[in-house]
Amino acid sequence: MAVKISKIEYYLPKKILSNNDLENEFPGLNINKIEEKVGIKERHIVKEDETALDLALIVGKKILENYDKDKIDFLLFCTQSPEYYLPSGACILQDRLGLNKNMGAFDYNLGCSGFVYGLALAKSLIISKIASHILLITSDTISAYINYKDKSNRATFGDAAAATIIEQSEEEQIGEFVLGTDGSGYKNLIVPNGGLRNRYNPNAKEIDEGSGSIRTDNDLYMNGPEIFNFTIKAVPKLVSKTLEKNNISLEEIDYIIFHQANKYINEYLRKKIGIPKEKYYLNLLNTGNTVSATIPIAIKDVLDNKLIKKGDKILLVGFGVGYSWGGTIITI
Amino acid sequence: MEKMNIKDFINELKDALEIEDEDQKITLETNLKDLEEYDSLSVLSIIAMIDKNFGKQIPSSDFAKVTTVNSLKDLIGKKHFE
Repeated sequence: MAVKISKIEYYLPKKILSNNDLENEFPGLNINKIEEKVGIKERHIVKEDETALDLALIVGKKILENYDKDKIDFLLFCTQSPEYYLPSGACILQDRLGLNKNMGAFDYNLGCSGFVYGLALAKSLIISKIASHILLITSDTISAYINYKDKSNRATFGDAAAATIIEQSEEEQIGEFVLGTDGSGYKNLIVPNGGLRNRYNPNAKEIDEGSGSIRTDNDLYMNGPEIFNFTIKAVPKLVSKTLEKNNISLEEIDYIIFHQANKYINEYLRKKIGIPKEKYYLNLLNTGNTVSATIPIAIKDVLDNKLIKKGDKILLVGFGVGYSWGGTIITI
Repeated sequence: MEKMNIKDFINELKDALEIEDEDQKITLETNLKDLEEYDSLSVLSIIAMIDKNFGKQIPSSDFAKVTTVNSLKDLIGKKHFE
């Protein structure tokens, strides 16, 4: 039994937060530096009443437009911006997308590694004959967790949803996986309050993060330097292990897509690993870091722009919140 | 890994901070936090510079204590310098 990705779509919310908008809110902000070093000019963000499930529904309808939706027999929904504590957003999506009731559906909570994990789950469900056609939706609205006074995170993150269909294939088009976890870093990228350990606190006090960014414990916290330390250590090893497990060299890989964290980090990783520029995806100019959606957005982007062709081998690498990381190689 | 001399270290640091003005003097006594160029992104640049030249990652909690160039040098470790 072999598997392939047969379709990818993505959706960006309509509202745009540009660097100029940020400059108006934060006078003195160096927007040239944000564009050049962070590599972001604008991000799409949800309106107040728009959720990750709403985005998932839009992108789900889009991908099923010209597809026999009765074939879908499993739905995987990756989000860290859930509609409710319970039930699973995947159950609600089954109904709203008009999908078959004879199918499995569940949510899983991962961020920047979520797409690679979704492919691993989908592949194993198909190989074990539990399912044959899987709809994987990765959708996040991290902007909803960011304090409006948190300049750095507002400049970095954007919202997006992506949908991918994985199904049986004659030849194997999804390779071997390398997955990793190190929960000792969980506090470095976290929304501390709002779960059951620390309830949402309406009186949470403001914390000055320096560089003019303010947040509370109800909001997203990211220790940027520590996350960068983690990626420096984890990603080069992940790349070499993924190549090794798939019995292939970096030279034989046609294109490389990393999770798009920010331009500076991704460019440093490229140089450190020794990846030629022309084979490396680096584009978050109009989206920002969209967490679990960056990799499928990139795949669709390079397919649409004909940067990759049928038969090409693409290395996919996700890493981030958790810490959690994963790599695989797909054949187009 | 080879030991680095202080002049090269300061030049690497100026590159990381994107200080293009050749005349701007950076010494071991310069307090990084007083520099106009020092922001959250320059911290990433300095982390990258240390990883590239010394193969080391500095924990962010130690990084927060850095004041002068000399304190950064001590954090990297005296054995890495001439």
